[in-house]
Amino acid sequence: MNLWQAKLLNRATRLRLAHRHLPDEARANLSVLDGLSSRAPVLAQRYVVVDLETTGLDHTKDRVVSVGAFRVVGGHIRLGEVFSEFANPGRGIPVESIKVHGITPDNIRDARPALEVFRDFLGFLGRDIVVAHFARFDMFFLNRVMRAQYGMRLQNLVVDTVLMCRAALIEPDPYGQKKGAKRCSLDALAARYGLEVPERHTALGDAMATALILQRLLPEMEQAGWKTLGDLVRVAGVQ
Amino acid sequence: MSDFPLPRIKDFLQSVVPFDSMEETELQRVVGLMDLAYFPRGEVIIQAGEDPSKNLYVIMNGSVRVTLPRQSGEELLIDVRGEGDTFGALSLLQGELALFTVTAQEDLLAFMLPDEPFRTLVRDNPVFKRHFSFSLARNIDAVRRAADHHTTQMTGTETLGLDAVLTGSRVHELMSKSLLTCLPATPVKAAAILMTQRKVGSIMVCEPGGRPLGILTDTDLRVRVLAAGVAPDVAVAEVMSRSIKAISPQAFAFEAMIEMARHGVHHLAVTEEQRLVGVISDHDLTMVTGSSPVGVMKEVAKVSSLEDLAGLPRRMNRVMETLLRLGGSAEYMLDVLSEFNDRLTMRLIRLTQSAMEHKGLGPPPVQFSWLALGSAGRREQALHQGQDYAVVYANVPPDREEVVHTWFSEFARRMIEGLSSCGFKGTSEAVMNDALLCCRSEAAWEESYLAWIGGGHPQALAMAAKYFDLRAVYAETSFVETIWNKIFNAIEANRGFLDRLRMAGSQARPPVGFLRQFAVDSDGGYLDRLNLEEVALQPVVEAARIMAMDQRLRQTNTLERLGAVTRLGLLKDRMAEDLYEAFSFVTLLRIARRLEENLNGKDGGAYLDPADLNRVQRKMLKESFQVVSKLQEFTAQRYAQ
Repeated sequence: MNLWQAKLLNRATRLRLAHRHLPDEARANLSVLDGLSSRAPVLAQRYVVVDLETTGLDHTKDRVVSVGAFRVVGGHIRLGEVFSEFANPGRGIPVESIKVHGITPDNIRDARPALEVFRDFLGFLGRDIVVAHFARFDMFFLNRVMRAQYGMRLQNLVVDTVLMCRAALIEPDPYGQKKGAKRCSLDALAARYGLEVPERHTALGDAMATALILQRLLPEMEQAGWKTLGDLVRVAGVQ
Repeated sequence: MSDFPLPRIKDFLQSVVPFDSMEETELQRVVGLMDLAYFPRGEVIIQAGEDPSKNLYVIMNGSVRVTLPRQSGEELLIDVRGEGDTFGALSLLQGELALFTVTAQEDLLAFMLPDEPFRTLVRDNPVFKRHFSFSLARNIDAVRRAADHHTTQMTGTETLGLDAVLTGSRVHELMSKSLLTCLPATPVKAAAILMTQRKVGSIMVCEPGGRPLGILTDTDLRVRVLAAGVAPDVAVAEVMSRSIKAISPQAFAFEAMIEMARHGVHHLAVTEEQRLVGVISDHDLTMVTGSSPVGVMKEVAKVSSLEDLAGLPRRMNRVMETLLRLGGSAEYMLDVLSEFNDRLTMRLIRLTQSAMEHKGLGPPPVQFSWLALGSAGRREQALHQGQDYAVVYANVPPDREEVVHTWFSEFARRMIEGLSSCGFKGTSEAVMNDALLCCRSEAAWEESYLAWIGGGHPQALAMAAKYFDLRAVYAETSFVETIWNKIFNAIEANRGFLDRLRMAGSQARPPVGFLRQFAVDSDGGYLDRLNLEEVALQPVVEAARIMAMDQRLRQTNTLERLGAVTRLGLLKDRMAEDLYEAFSFVTLLRIARRLEENLNGKDGGAYLDPADLNRVQRKMLKESFQVVSKLQEFTAQRYAQ
């Protein structure tokens, strides 16, 4: 994936949806890549670091129960720009999942459905670059809702901190042995950087942990020679 | 969103001075205005000489070095700051070019509060205002001192904000308000009936306007009425105790304790604008504290054997603990302790004298005085510290000298044994030999003093300095009064003595600050233990001694000396206030440490592990060190020859 490909796919989606009636938030999302330059420095970009908690790990059946996100601008985490909301999955939460994230049916009884929560999240996200740890997982859930609702997937650039970590910190793995995989887990990275992660395994706590890791990975990427947005998308972009 | 969703972040800020003073909702609002930034090790965050900082930084994790670049290219370390410390305020508030370079010494995670909201906080929140105007002044001062080591700036600092730390229970919280009073003309019998009905042991006697005149207690009824055969219809005014002491309802509980101890009374009238509003008894105090200094003090005078006397210091420890918990000030605590030590010494002198008479060694051959020297002479003794003393006996003809000296040597030897069994340190042979040296005639002592002043080498003076903190605990002679005049006159003729005495003192500079479990000294080295006495107290004691002697002042107590030289204009008021707070704070810390050690049954010596200090203590200690450095520079400049 590179920025040029992303823009091409975006143009195709625009053509396909040109004559369909779309809500404002979806129409706005179609133009988020406009004006992005592959030569822009990575550190100066606007990012939204997101984490989802779900009813389980199967993206075909399971549902989102919580969305947490922080905005990172110029390498600074904006503590006042926080997105944190429970979503009602419309079904029970398996005990195994409750054990992980501690979200109980009581917590989500009065929560809004995921559709409404995502609509607000789109507003919060704006044109910023989405960052998540193991981003494909979160994107499955986000895009499923996007497709069902608007007939398209999320148009923003999405980068994965696991891929950034592999590129910047772990030696190349040409034979796909995935020796480095465990070293890129959220806990391993937090330990590597000596981070005390507050409220781990809540959507917002994990989003904070990912944001703290992003803060450190960005300068490491620069050091490794990937200094521009084009580099970042090429190395760590997932869509 | 009503609640900041990551409680740990808020909790962290809640532990940071001055954010800890904020209301919960206000803190929520301020957290929302902050960014959390990361700076890799070595990154320059603020560059001296460039635009002012646009943020206040609060360190969450990691540390920074604050340095001042110099023309020569080297950097002067001003401070090292770690978790919970702030930086950037100085240039931000002043709006001038940054004075210091701030560099990440380790990977740094810091909160950034932007310019505008920070200014608003400093303007509207008095705690912020005080906190930042305070460190502002200090920082500017640090620059001036660093920039020109020979220029001493004695102005521009605020007093240490100790008041908030030293709060404790107040008298009005503990006093009994259900007052039993009567007029002076009330018959004794009527007063006794009132006391019986209300089941109390005392009744206050007041003027019709409410001003207390005296108190009638159960004891008075027994001693002054029944046993004295006074008729029950006599007016209470005739038999009441008139020595009623008054205290303000706003006074601290420990002040009430000290008043009682000082006057040997069990009740104090609590008065407001001369009107009686309550009564506080040592019972009220012991109810909340479990021990009272009055009891221990009185006991000293009653004790008739050395064994009983030796048990009292342990009780005194409990009293000090109580005072500390009540938030007693250092000055008062030292007062109580030194009063106790004096009484103990007096009692020991009596017991020793009578023991010697029993042994057939006879009474003292001539009149003498028992002098306290050093910390005891200054009334600054910590618990169980060694006591320096001197015995001065009246001059005798040469043929009697040996007999007299032998008697007093034996006396001193027994006294030292007694003191050490009461927990005062020092029974080694050296001390015993010292004992013999410390018993001398007035003429011999005078000769020593004049020799020190006339030509004592700084090395010799280092040992002799304590002799200039002399105070008579037991005086049959007027030696102390006469020797001071001779000392002052000798100094007049030998001004160089003051500088030699200064050189004899501690030359070490206090640390510049703290980082985690270390103190950071002025060369950027790390210290894992601190001798508070050496780095923070001793320099002040020495400077005060020199300045007081320079001004012919007879005070020996360091705070009194500082107060007196300030009244004479030698020290600026602000400097004096800072010194007072610094000295008090360090003293308090020292007392607390001693008690803790006693409690745990270990003796850590004079050393303090900086890791044991909490955030506020570190800050206070750091400010204290800065004041002490300034004082050292001041005396160096004034007395260096």
